[in-house]
Amino acid sequence: MTSLAIHTDMKQQPPTPAAETSDKLAKKVSVSNLNFFYGDFRGLADINVDLYKNKVTAFIGPSGCGKSTLLRVLNRIYDLYPNQRAEGEVLLDGENILASHYDLNLLRAKVGMVFQKPTPFPMTIYENIAFGVRLYEKPSKSELDDRVEDALQRGAIWDEVKDKLDASGLSLSGGQQQRLCIARTVAIRPEVILLDEPCSALDPISTAKIEELIDVLKKDYTIAIVTHNMQQAARTSDFTAFMYLGELVEFDETGKIFTNPKEQRTQDYITGRFG
Amino acid sequence: MALNDSNSLYARRRWRNRLATALSVGAAGFGLTWLVLILLVLVIKGVGGLSLAVFTEMTPPPGGSGGLLNPIIGSLILTVIAVAIGTPLGILAGTYMSEYGRYSKLTMVVRFINDILLSAPSIVVGLFVYEIMVAQMGHFSAWAGAVALAIIVIPVVVRTTEDMLLLIPNTLREASSALGVPQWLVIRYVAYRAARAGMITGILLAIARITGETAPLLFTALNNQFFSWNLNAPMSSLPVVIFQFALSPYSDWQQLAWTGAFIITVAVLGLSILARVLSSKKVAQ
Repeated sequence: MTSLAIHTDMKQQPPTPAAETSDKLAKKVSVSNLNFFYGDFRGLADINVDLYKNKVTAFIGPSGCGKSTLLRVLNRIYDLYPNQRAEGEVLLDGENILASHYDLNLLRAKVGMVFQKPTPFPMTIYENIAFGVRLYEKPSKSELDDRVEDALQRGAIWDEVKDKLDASGLSLSGGQQQRLCIARTVAIRPEVILLDEPCSALDPISTAKIEELIDVLKKDYTIAIVTHNMQQAARTSDFTAFMYLGELVEFDETGKIFTNPKEQRTQDYITGRFG
Repeated sequence: MALNDSNSLYARRRWRNRLATALSVGAAGFGLTWLVLILLVLVIKGVGGLSLAVFTEMTPPPGGSGGLLNPIIGSLILTVIAVAIGTPLGILAGTYMSEYGRYSKLTMVVRFINDILLSAPSIVVGLFVYEIMVAQMGHFSAWAGAVALAIIVIPVVVRTTEDMLLLIPNTLREASSALGVPQWLVIRYVAYRAARAGMITGILLAIARITGETAPLLFTALNNQFFSWNLNAPMSSLPVVIFQFALSPYSDWQQLAWTGAFIITVAVLGLSILARVLSSKKVAQ
């Protein structure tokens, strides 16, 4: 998806029912009737959406529409805060992750997350990667070296850091730090990767590198990305969900959302009439 | 409206700015003056008494020759024990308040009480330990002195630990939790590392604080004319010896008190500078 076509006149395309397309795809994550509360405030209202295996799903919408909130439900990171709660059902491979007995650490090992601001740990570059790997495995020194190199390769940052693995992760530039964070997430071999505006703090060159990376990563992972950048959503994703005021307005293949949205609000947003 | 020097509003603002700057500089200078004077007097009166004997000989009887070996060693022992007791307790409590119980009522209560303890007069701490230890055991002891000093260390360490941990952005905690890291490992490997410099600074400041405490030791460790390793017996310490010798009529004792005060001040100054260096390193990161 490289062509960005934003038209106000709707191109007529042969109608492909969304249901038919979806059937060929495996549902990795399935969200149904999800409501989310910050204290008394309802941040998400009756969300139904699926993430398909080995596909990139983009979440777009104006600030405060609940995109990040939805992402934060998918690995239950909101659980760190006492007055936030989710109701409904989020199935990961058919298991409800909102169930109270679901092991949060295992969930987060399966559903990795990269945040808006780069968050390298106060350790060396090597340790930033190795830290997560050691949590769930006991690799030998040489295996660990391989895992670190592999993760940094996948994070497209190996060439830049291979000679200074003992330097602090904090010594890298913003774009490098973000790729280090992606590498760190990839290193523990998750199944789903959540990207919460991963490029908003980065320059165009770093952004391009990360977008290329997303394209490579989707071969092995299911990816959800929140972005304010419409072109980025169009370029990187297979499916796009448009959210507004805590509701999911429209969810479809990215091509359809950007060329032939069903909802007026979606159309208005992607053409820049509000947001 | 054009902005230039002749604009009366702007001119008045500039004049007020100069006045405020002058007052601030004056206030800073006023504070600094006393500090410099104190240091100056200490150097003038204290350095003269410095000799090898100060560090190798026991406190003398009046008129005799001697040094400050037993109070120096005593102070070191008391400080080490106090820090060994107070630091783990303080760090654990601060960790609870910042990491586990950040939103709990207990944390608010503990923070409030800790703030009171932080500013409690140290003589109250001394009397308290006298009641619970010295009176119960029937004699003064180094243990009691160390416990009194530990009670002063704890609130300082609790406060700095909590403050330093609270400074760590939540995004860092989220990022580590998002890797599936259990909370205790997040704290140990991410939060403590990020806050390390600040936490060490807090411990150093606590040491600097107790190094000069006299009141809590008067009722607990008392004093000892001789060198002693026995923690169940009274133990000498620099502040108490300074207190006793400075009040004495003997000029050689008074000289030793000045020298002791000089040694303490240099030690505290050194610790403070070390704390500063460490905390500025954190900012440089």
